[in-house]
Amino acid sequence: MSEIISQAALRALAAEWISSARQVFGPTAINPHTVAYSPLNSADALLLEGFVHPANSIKEVVFPRHEVLYGYRIEGNSVELLDDHAPLPEQIVIAARPCDAAALPILDRVFNWDFADEFYNRRRAATTVITLACNTADESCFCTSVGLGPDSERGSDVLLFDLGDQFYEVRCLTEKGHALFRGKTETADRTAMAVSAPPKKFDPQVIRSFVIEHFEDAFWKDHALACVGCGICAYTCPTCHCFDIVDAGPSAGNARVRTWDSCQFPIFTAHASGHNPRASQSSRQRQRILHKFAIYPDKFGEILCTGCGNCTRNCPEGLGVLSLAMEIDRG
Amino acid sequence: MEVISVRQQTADVKSVSLRFLDAERAKNFSFNVGQFGIFSVFGFGESTFNICSSSNWKDRIEFCFRRVGRVTEAMWKIEEHDIVGFRGPYGNGYPMDAWKGHDLIFLGGGIAMPPIRCAVWYALENRADYGEITVVYGARTVADLVYADELDRWAEFDRVRVVRCVDPGGQTADWKGEVGFVPNVFEKACGKCNDPIVLVIGPPIMIKNTLPILDRMGVGAASVYTSIENRMKCGVGKCGRCNVGPLYVCKEGPVLTMEQLQALPADY
Amino acid sequence: MSETSVFEPKIVAYVCNWCTYLGADLAGTTRLEYPPNVRIIRLPCTGRIDFNLLVKGFEIGADAVLVSGCHPGDCHYTAGNYHARRRWILFRELLDTLGFDLRRIHFTWISAAEGKKWQQMVTEITEETRKLGPYTDLYANGPAPALPALDCASGEARTLDAEPELREYSRNLLAEGTVKVVVGYGAHGPVIVTRPEDAERLVWNNRCRPNLTAYLKRKEIKALGKPAVVVKPCDEKSLVVLERESQIDRNEIHVIGMACEGVGEPKCASCEDRTPRDADKSFGAAVASATPASAQPNRLAALMAMTSRERMAFWSAQFERCVKCFACRQVCPMCYCERCIVDKSRPITIDPASSTKGNFAWQIARAFHLAGRCVGCGECSRACPAGIDLGLLNIALHKAGSEHFGYEPGADALGKPLIGAFSLQDQEDFIH
Repeated sequence: MSEIISQAALRALAAEWISSARQVFGPTAINPHTVAYSPLNSADALLLEGFVHPANSIKEVVFPRHEVLYGYRIEGNSVELLDDHAPLPEQIVIAARPCDAAALPILDRVFNWDFADEFYNRRRAATTVITLACNTADESCFCTSVGLGPDSERGSDVLLFDLGDQFYEVRCLTEKGHALFRGKTETADRTAMAVSAPPKKFDPQVIRSFVIEHFEDAFWKDHALACVGCGICAYTCPTCHCFDIVDAGPSAGNARVRTWDSCQFPIFTAHASGHNPRASQSSRQRQRILHKFAIYPDKFGEILCTGCGNCTRNCPEGLGVLSLAMEIDRG
Repeated sequence: MEVISVRQQTADVKSVSLRFLDAERAKNFSFNVGQFGIFSVFGFGESTFNICSSSNWKDRIEFCFRRVGRVTEAMWKIEEHDIVGFRGPYGNGYPMDAWKGHDLIFLGGGIAMPPIRCAVWYALENRADYGEITVVYGARTVADLVYADELDRWAEFDRVRVVRCVDPGGQTADWKGEVGFVPNVFEKACGKCNDPIVLVIGPPIMIKNTLPILDRMGVGAASVYTSIENRMKCGVGKCGRCNVGPLYVCKEGPVLTMEQLQALPADY
Repeated sequence: MSETSVFEPKIVAYVCNWCTYLGADLAGTTRLEYPPNVRIIRLPCTGRIDFNLLVKGFEIGADAVLVSGCHPGDCHYTAGNYHARRRWILFRELLDTLGFDLRRIHFTWISAAEGKKWQQMVTEITEETRKLGPYTDLYANGPAPALPALDCASGEARTLDAEPELREYSRNLLAEGTVKVVVGYGAHGPVIVTRPEDAERLVWNNRCRPNLTAYLKRKEIKALGKPAVVVKPCDEKSLVVLERESQIDRNEIHVIGMACEGVGEPKCASCEDRTPRDADKSFGAAVASATPASAQPNRLAALMAMTSRERMAFWSAQFERCVKCFACRQVCPMCYCERCIVDKSRPITIDPASSTKGNFAWQIARAFHLAGRCVGCGECSRACPAGIDLGLLNIALHKAGSEHFGYEPGADALGKPLIGAFSLQDQEDFIH
């Protein structure tokens, strides 16, 4: 026995959430060729099928690309700091992919390492994640290579399974999830079939060993030459979280702001002296792999990657973690 | 924090003395020498500097900066009573307790004096805890020496030796110090040493040339310390910017032994 | 406290020091009254007025912007205002494409003797702007019609006949030392081949999308030595522009031209030029598009058919998605500045982070810096992970350059640039 819900009822629920004071996010068709997680203004905009993985991730809801840390008001010689105490609206993500949901508990580790990042934690607490398990994968998917799968529960408050006939099995995993679906589902004698997972494409242990033991290997130079140094991999990745802190000047409002940044940008590590420890694109590519498969696991016991494939799928030059990892594992 | 005073050290280096606006905060604040802070000019941004005052000085903290970019350009204009943002202390600081009982050798070049200065003052203020203290400090020219007047005051302390030098060509007609690069001047001045702790801070080339000399003197890599720098932002290990291989400079540094540094990949 | 206060428009005027500023001064000294709504910003010359300053004026709250300088022929620096005029003609088209309210942007020539004209212009502009009301539409969201969809083919790549020849040729080039590196297409993306035996990694199929000339600017590639680069006819035009701008020496690169049958990109549907023009060696057979270019929907026309309010809403929705990954910049062969304006910090002219103003400023700068230089390879649109219609801005400026000045980027390696040059005969109908 399980709980199920019709797509129509699910959309009606979404409409209810949208019209209440909550912010609802979900996959939507940006244009005929692009599906992305976006704030939803209507339940009709929610896309529940016809795509494998949106072009972005859900990290925006807990880690916005532009976030005011605090304001400041300068008057003569005095500075007043202005905290933003406005209550955060409740946030609901509908139809996240398991690889996107799983990123959240992984990110929890760094954002609470020694110093608790309240900006992140507040948003995290205000967010409920309803995940839609996958029925298919594409050639860029590799969740199974990093210990996840198309029906992984990590990071999800609710897990939905597409039963194929406009019905979904609803598995509430947390109290937050129950709170949203209590009384909204029907009991039925249907469970989702086991989903076939993408085959394992590489061994993360091999990647870790390689990047540590072959730090200076010519591999990095050979294979990273095609990288043009944009921020697509970092910005569409569910787990990449590098950021910058800037003072937004008068014309943008006086505030100290946290913004996304990417280790692939050439000036990411540039010193004021002019020295740049990672002056070549290959060293920057290597850093991304090192961070995801060696540094983060060694520090926090988690691979900083959920195998969503966005970096490889979106890279205009076909690179990304999957590309590099398969080359490494191939030998 | 409020600016107490600003001192121009060289043509493009100033040191700033700050005090907390809030008495309660001032009372509760403490740090270890070697730690750094993130200082800011509101409207221009934040920048990372070592806290170069001794942790024994309860009425103020100091930092030293070179005018080189957007934030430091704005800092160049600050005056007494201006407001400067501060957050910290971050990083791991010098293990001054572990250094007790040892001779201390401080080697520094140019703008590396501030992170050495705090340790020297601390050691002098706890004089009995430490053995002989040697400071070898050099800069490209006489005009580039930072905290030059304090070097004189240090030499007045018991069993303290201060050697200052400038690069060949950097001396003035009345220069009374040495002429040469810090590693060579050091070797000449201190042929022998007795299980010291060495703190060497400076440009990579200086460190590279100092290590073999220390090795010849029998100083092990675990006794040689440095303070590395890297571009930082958050200071608390989250923004992903400052790592040298697996080591986050803001959390597991900036103070490292040479042994630790040499174990790191060439990522700095 | 009055309940109905009269709206006082804020007007920012960028004026040149030698003519208009003195003209305004003359108005003052001759006691000519004019509304106090105008805030004057004095610059040495209209030629120094960066296009982004106009946008900045609106960003900081201006309801109208006035730009004024010496009459053509009277510039204190001889030609500054000719440069400005050329720039304004094109920039105005870009602003129109973006949905800015052109009624709020004014250009005039006012000389030092024309105090009266200054009084008259400022009075008129103030009253017009008062009637228009505050500029609340700036970057405003709202309904906007969708544009006709872009035609993008997917599906498996089909290897083309010329692949073995290409591999053989490349292998020989490397083995003989004619070149040190071959930049070509591989199974998953571009490959940078330095060893003859690795020429096997090169492919040629109907999904070879990237414009590989973008790699010629990268220092890691330059360090490898003389390159051979595989180009499609659309990519080839980039080389002409790069050569004109002295970024490459045509004799120091080996161009392998591939005749093309389309790679499934939207640009392919209207491409009629599928044969390489100036390659050192060509392969493959050109196959024309199934449908003629004239049959493709004119998306720019559809955009310009909207009201400016709708256009602004259209672009606001598009730029809201911009995450500032700068893929558009990195994949563009013509974006080769060692330090991009967006990375400059003294001053920060464009916010490098994703924000409404920062995104508009970036997209405006990118499009305008490429005016007359973009050859329409479409890489920017292809690379954008947020599906933003970047190419449309470039197409708009291409049309402006063509219609106003008969300019065609990539046509002539020895020709003049579009924006760096000017003609005494440049025509416009909007400068008073």
